[in-house]
Formats: sequence, structure tokens, C-alpha cells
Amino acid sequence: MKQPVLFLLILLLGLTGCAAPHPLPELIAGAGEDRWCEAVFPQGRWEFVHTIDFSMADGSGTTVLGVTSLAGEEIACALMTVEGFTLFEAVYRRKEGLEVRRAVPPFDNPAFAAGLMADVRTIFYAPFPAKVQYGRAAGQSPTCRYAGVDGRITDILPARDGCWQIRTYGADQGLIRSVAGRSCRKEGESLIPGYLELKGFGPMSYTLKMTLIQAENLNEKVLP
Amino acid sequence: MKRLPLLVALFFFVAIPAAPARAESRGEPGSQAQPVQLRSVQADFLQEKHLKILTLPIVSTGSFTFQAPQSLRWEYRTPIRSILLMHDGKVRKFMEREGVLAEDKGMRLDAMQVVLAEISNWLDGRFTDNAMFTVSFPEKQTILLTPKEQGLAALISSIELKLGDQAGLLDKVIIFEGPGSCTSLAFSNRIINQEIPTAVFTEK
Repeated sequence: MKQPVLFLLILLLGLTGCAAPHPLPELIAGAGEDRWCEAVFPQGRWEFVHTIDFSMADGSGTTVLGVTSLAGEEIACALMTVEGFTLFEAVYRRKEGLEVRRAVPPFDNPAFAAGLMADVRTIFYAPFPAKVQYGRAAGQSPTCRYAGVDGRITDILPARDGCWQIRTYGADQGLIRSVAGRSCRKEGESLIPGYLELKGFGPMSYTLKMTLIQAENLNEKVLP
Repeated sequence: MKRLPLLVALFFFVAIPAAPARAESRGEPGSQAQPVQLRSVQADFLQEKHLKILTLPIVSTGSFTFQAPQSLRWEYRTPIRSILLMHDGKVRKFMEREGVLAEDKGMRLDAMQVVLAEISNWLDGRFTDNAMFTVSFPEKQTILLTPKEQGLAALISSIELKLGDQAGLLDKVIIFEGPGSCTSLAFSNRIINQEIPTAVFTEK
């Protein structure tokens, strides 16, 4: 009996350990506007290429090239080795869901595809809120707080460290993901970071360090 | 073994240079110049990755050094610095992480060993003997490699090799992955049969 009890204890401690350090901060309500936070997300049609340095909590990881293509309701993404071999390619459409076009092992796990697309959507797509509040989180940064129908909460800090930050919380108000942009530059109505750091929290915590290689604004281009 | 195709493709870039000489001896399309026994090749390359979802290709630059029978240094300078070293049966890969070249321990070295065994075949010009690819010569100066196995074909639909005017040298490689997706490598500044210090293949 001791082993299951010990396992549960470790599990509970683990869960507590994940949620406690990053609880949802109190939002001190204030005046605000959607447009503050809309600039965080690229508007219209864009293509981005990043180097992505992926690392797990134990320090293991690797570096790949990531492509993200945004076109209205459609997001396409791909991961490649530095040698140019495509490891993963998928398209997400809001109405139709996720379509995996190519997935080379070990990237053929459905959970990986879902997790990757969730990361991509967190960075590039504004949440679809049931309710929006404005104010200052923890009494500091201006914040737009989007509450979803599923209980998830997304805090967008549009002016943090010269760029922006996004934090998503689960229904239990524990932090799921944080994204910090740096070296932002203004492109039309959008703020494009030269560097992004995404942290995924939970039992399998990980970090993606994304350095922008190229950004193409396709809104004003005539495509073949 | 499913990671093998990438590695096979990688090694083609190095191993192909020996092909024209053998092709000529069989009367197949190839260079008109005198065959050259290749002992070593060094070259710069410009790589373009085309994807259906991408308007502009991703451009990478680098260089490689190969010395018979099995020594290789394959190095990317941009956009991510990385180095693949092979020498004396050992394979190592380094990638830049946070400004430092760190060894990538996640490589499947068992697959690498299989590829190393294949190298000697390419160097000897045995294209028609290849167990993985069907070899054809659709036009002068072009070799087309088509996967025999369905598993490999799902990852690489074909590889096109464009031969140069000088015997023993390759101008361009295009790896077709599927509809709208391919990687091309164009080679320049080639130097052949120069003695290469061993350290080039063992030290990052």
C-alpha cells in the first residue's frame, strides 16, 4: 500500500507545485480598449520563419526551423531540420479543426500536433472571449483579460518590457503557457517581436526560444 | 530507420561527385571531360527550402568537406550554425544554442552507421546497385533517384542531381518531398583532391 500512497503524494505535490508558483493575479479594473491588445496579434495575412530552440526542464532539446502562415481563419505551420527536411506540417481552420499533412516520427503523436497548434494559436491568434476586462494585473502592467467559455483565461500585457506578453490560465486558474516578446517592431497595426520565449507549464514543462528569421506581410502583396 | 532518408539525402550531396566518372564509363549521360578519381571535395552551398505554405523560400548557407573513404564535415553558417562531423566510424552533430555550439546528443547513431556503409557504394559510382533508389537518367547531366520502398517514398518522392561540366562535380541537388515541398542545394567554390587535415572532421 505504501507505493500507491507515495505515488499519489508525489502526484499531488507535483500538481500543487505546478499551480502554486503562477496563480492568476488579481486584476484591478480600469478603463481600456480592445485595440491595445489587438496589436499583439498580426492582422491579416502573414508568414513567419523562426529558429526554434526547444528545451525540456531537464535541459534536453534541439533546434529546428519553424514556419507559420496566417491567413484569416487559417493557420498553417511546419517544422524542419536545419538541413531542410520537413518533420511536421499541419493546417488549422477554426471551423474544420486540425489537419496534419505530414508528421515524421516522433512528431506523429496526435498530442504533439495538438500541443504545437495550441502554442502557435497562443502566439498568433487573439483568444475568442466570452468576456473581456481591462485593468492592471498585480497592480502593475496594463492588461486585457479574456475569459473563454471553457473557463480558460488569457491575460495580454500589451506593453511589457518594450514588447508584449501573453499568459494563459486553465479553468483551475493555474498558468498553462506564458509568451514573452522582445525586440518588437511596429508593422502597420501589428507589433512583431524579433524574439519570442514561450514556456509551457505542467508535468512536462518546456521552453521554446524563437528567433525571427523572416516576416512577410502579405496583406499588400499580390500573390501568384 | 525512419530518420534514415534525411541522412541518405544528406550523404548524396557528398557521395554523388564520384558518379559522373562511372556514368561515362558506362556510356550514360554525364560530363564530357576526363573522369577524375575523387579523393576529396570541398564546396560552399546555398540551400533553398520551398514549402507550399511559404511564399518565399528559406535560404541557408554553408559548406562541406568530404574525404574518401568516410570523412565528412557538413556545416551550416546561416540561419542556424550547425556542424555534422563523421570520421573513423564516429558521427557527431553540433548545433548553436543560445550562441554556443553544443553537441546534439539526440541523433540516431544507429541510422548513421547504416548510411556510412552506403557511402562506399556512392563513391564507387554504384548507382544502379542501390537498394534504396531506382536510378534513371532523364536528360543529359541529370540523374534521377526514385525511392524503391513505399516507406521512404512517403518522405522523399525523388532526388534530382544536376551534374556540372567538370567531371566528378555536382552543380545542384533537388530533393522533392511532396507536392509543393522541395529543398535545393546549389554548390560553388569547389575544390577537389586537396589534402584535408583530420582535425577538420573531428573538431568543431
